[in-house]
Amino acid sequence: MPNDHLTSSLLIGLIGGVVDLDSTATWQFMISQPIVAAPLTGLFLGALVGQEAAGLKLGLMIGTILQLLWIEQLPLGMNVPPDAALASVLSVALGFLAGRDFDTYVEREVCNTVALLVAVALGLLGRALDRGIRRLNTRMESWVTARIHASDATWALPVGHTVGGLYTFGKAFLFCFIVTWLGVEPLRAFTRSLSFGQNTGFIVIQGLLPSVGFAVLAGMCIKDRQELRWFIAGIALFTILPANIWAGWLAAALIVVRTYRTEHGSL
Amino acid sequence: MVPSDTSTISPERRNGTAFGRFMLFRIAFRSFFLQASWNYRGMMNMGFLYALQPALDELYPAGPARKAAYERHLEYFNTNPYFSSLVMGVVLSLEERLARGEIDAEIIHDTKEGLMTACAAVGDGFFWDSWRPFVAAAALTLAFGNFLLTPILFLVVYNMPHLYFRFRGIFWGYQLGTDVIKLLKTFNIQRARLALRYATIALLCYLVPNHVNLHTPFLLSNLPLEYFYIGEKLVQGIGAALLVGLAAAGYRAKVDVLMISFLLMVMALVLYHWGILI
Repeated sequence: MPNDHLTSSLLIGLIGGVVDLDSTATWQFMISQPIVAAPLTGLFLGALVGQEAAGLKLGLMIGTILQLLWIEQLPLGMNVPPDAALASVLSVALGFLAGRDFDTYVEREVCNTVALLVAVALGLLGRALDRGIRRLNTRMESWVTARIHASDATWALPVGHTVGGLYTFGKAFLFCFIVTWLGVEPLRAFTRSLSFGQNTGFIVIQGLLPSVGFAVLAGMCIKDRQELRWFIAGIALFTILPANIWAGWLAAALIVVRTYRTEHGSL
Repeated sequence: MVPSDTSTISPERRNGTAFGRFMLFRIAFRSFFLQASWNYRGMMNMGFLYALQPALDELYPAGPARKAAYERHLEYFNTNPYFSSLVMGVVLSLEERLARGEIDAEIIHDTKEGLMTACAAVGDGFFWDSWRPFVAAAALTLAFGNFLLTPILFLVVYNMPHLYFRFRGIFWGYQLGTDVIKLLKTFNIQRARLALRYATIALLCYLVPNHVNLHTPFLLSNLPLEYFYIGEKLVQGIGAALLVGLAAAGYRAKVDVLMISFLLMVMALVLYHWGILI
């Protein structure tokens, strides 16, 4: 079991390192977005214990909620957002590893919800670490600039730039490894300590949390009263209609085509 | 800063031969690592120079000219990463002209500064503000339905315009030079942004009433079974709209998203404790 746990923690460290590189430092393919990072973590962890589908489903559930919570957060210029990538990886890791020992669905769900809440706090801690890395990079930049000014040492640039990337990877690897290594047992013990009534309360929370993300998206997209009226009318329509994903997609597609073709770009 | 003679240029560059496709692809590939050493002084400066380094090394032989080129590009640089290769293409074409003695180094500085600002505005507005929220909302509609391929679809759809701009951008910038601004205007980015914003709202209209799970025991005890389904849908739709409205009001009032989430959790636990929600 300790060896299993060590392997899982190392795996999580590696996934965290790679995913965190994507969030700002390199590529930016958006593997670091919770809706990708969390299922990816679930899939790899699940594969380790032969439960790929369970891991993937858990990742998708947690990724969906975290994606909604932090949909507006982006590393633009000086802004350093909470580290959603690390939060995604860690919430799935903690939830999966601590939750797999529980027999009931309710206990597992509670374990996942608590892991999610803990990971949100860890995402904030990740932001502080990101700032530290940027400060280290600033020192590195001064070193590279001085080398080039003084001695035409062009080799200093690739070295300094690569070290900057390694800082990011190393930070994420160590952070994920340590949190997974130390965090699973306390989470399991905390979940065990909860009564049944508290447990089902956590499931109610899980059901309501998406509304915050929807609110943020609505706050980002709706700019005036007319758009707000359309939005309310749309919600009323989809409340009455049978829940059909294709209706939502069809409405979105029609609106894209119509808006793009209209000369002034209005509905 | 204009070189007095062309002896500072590599012999193979002296006749003004253009860089080949391989070199341009190499720069576009290196632009993926633009922010590896993001820092508070020059922001993306080291990444920018790192991407251009092979071309500059080919353009200038080791010595003062190469050193001057390096120093030129160690100045502050910040733009949208997906549009960075476009700026690199323009700068590369200007570096060639500088090396041939046709322009002054100041022109490179001014063009780079103007272009990085324009590309940041266009790129951030389109990718961060419109494209990412839209693709995320579309992916969420699938994820809520437990569609396991959602992450792959998200990555494929999101990265189509990203990779297109990344790899076409270097060629546009290099071939068109400063005229690339005229090309950017033809994209109708503003209209595309508006269309994506409206589409995201449409997807939200579907998501809000269907994917906020709000159940109350009152319906079970007070409604005849044949009306239960419609009653549940109405409570879900109206309750979700109210919750989203409250949270959106908090968001507009600049309350932190995590604080809103925390308040919602407390409210959920209180309503559960009173038996209003199950």
